[in-house]
Amino acid sequence: MNAVRELGRFGLFVGSWFRASVTRPPPIRASIEEAYRIGVLSLPILLIISVFVGTNLALQGYNAFAPLGGQRLIGMFVALAGVREMAPIMVASMVAAKAGTEMASQIAVMRIRDQIDALEVMAINPLWYLITPRFLGILAVLPALTMISIFTLTLSAYLVAVFQLGLDGGEFLDYFAQTTILTDFLYCGVKAFFFAIIICFVSCFYGFHCKPGPDGVGGATNSAVVVSAVVCAALNYLLSELLFGGRGL
Amino acid sequence: MSDPIIRLVDLHKRFGELVVLDGVSFDIPRGKTTAIIGPSGTGKSVLIKHIVGLLEPDQGEVWVGDVDMATASERQKYAVRKRFGMLFQDGALFDSMTAGENVAFPLRFHTNLSEAERRRVAEEKLALVELPDVYDRPTAALSGGQRKRVGLARAIVLEPEVVLFDEPNSGLDPMTSDTIDELIGRMKKQLGITFIVITHDIVSCVDIADYVAMLYGGKLVEYGTVQQLIHSKQPIVRDFLKRNVELPPL
Repeated sequence: MNAVRELGRFGLFVGSWFRASVTRPPPIRASIEEAYRIGVLSLPILLIISVFVGTNLALQGYNAFAPLGGQRLIGMFVALAGVREMAPIMVASMVAAKAGTEMASQIAVMRIRDQIDALEVMAINPLWYLITPRFLGILAVLPALTMISIFTLTLSAYLVAVFQLGLDGGEFLDYFAQTTILTDFLYCGVKAFFFAIIICFVSCFYGFHCKPGPDGVGGATNSAVVVSAVVCAALNYLLSELLFGGRGL
Repeated sequence: MSDPIIRLVDLHKRFGELVVLDGVSFDIPRGKTTAIIGPSGTGKSVLIKHIVGLLEPDQGEVWVGDVDMATASERQKYAVRKRFGMLFQDGALFDSMTAGENVAFPLRFHTNLSEAERRRVAEEKLALVELPDVYDRPTAALSGGQRKRVGLARAIVLEPEVVLFDEPNSGLDPMTSDTIDELIGRMKKQLGITFIVITHDIVSCVDIADYVAMLYGGKLVEYGTVQQLIHSKQPIVRDFLKRNVELPPL
């Protein structure tokens, strides 16, 4: 019952934001600043993790296929597991953990310090002022971060496959290219688009509905990252089924 | 009392089982300072949140001019709020901005002033609250009293008709409290606007208020001039006042 009520509140929250935002101009400068904060500042950690996810995909692909004599298929394994699945959900989880928690905690602190009420009294709609730049910012950068992650993990997997495991680089790329078509990148962008929407609204929702006191801020931040990650993971499965499900390799 | 700027009519509000406002009605006169007093938890903050439309009553009317904030559309509420300024308990300053940017903030949204003009207006308002040199100072570097004064400068930057103060003296030492009271008194004379002040501080209330409304248990138990309050025969009013002011004998 609580979950249904919470879902209803979430729906009303998003609806209120939509009404507030369509009647006001988009805050372009603030959106660019948010895109910078979310994108550029998340990039170093994203690159590091993507490198090591790529290395481990190559290693574990080798361990799985080598006993069967199929170590040449590592390129295919990286394309299926890394490009289609790992990169989008990994980027979403990282952005939820970094930018999502930042959104939730910033807004929650504003709530408990009366700053959101102050915006209302100054006749500035807080939903528009606080959410729209974050929404446009994350929407702009999450697909781009996903593409960067795909490139990085593929490159690191290639380097491990060729220079550590002694496999043929041409074969790696050949199998990778056979398994990955241009549409796959588009579909990864589609996944990132939906994940961006989920992370932004879930994080802002918990920030806006923060309970009073420091515990409230902690609770809002925690709920934001947990709910974002779980919903993104479930949505990743649904989108994979919808986008890649019937296509095979 | 003539020409009320705000009329509260039979206001009721409850949160779950807790009744916070229980049929409160009174008028707030234009151009005067009205203090709302009462013990903690009697609905003072809830009352002013109704006035600015941050809360909607379960029953009753909140008239600001010809707009009932209880039933107004969002567009009407925002239009009314442009006529208000409000000083929150902690100032509610935005931490990511300097003191001056906080003051200039409403001008960005409600005027066509250039950045230089916004800065000039904000500096004027900061000078009015006796903080002429803090425009570029981070809000984290301000003392409690300075935060309140910057909050006050922001509240008056659009030259509103009504300014609401939510416990302007809370958390301040007596000397800083006196400074804030003097500031409120001086601004009332200079700007001629309506002030609504929530306070626990009876001494401050006597100093700055023209009219006083006392809430107790969600009800309005006394309303009138400061002298009428001091001469009130209601036991609850006398109990509340006697710790702070010398009362005439019954």
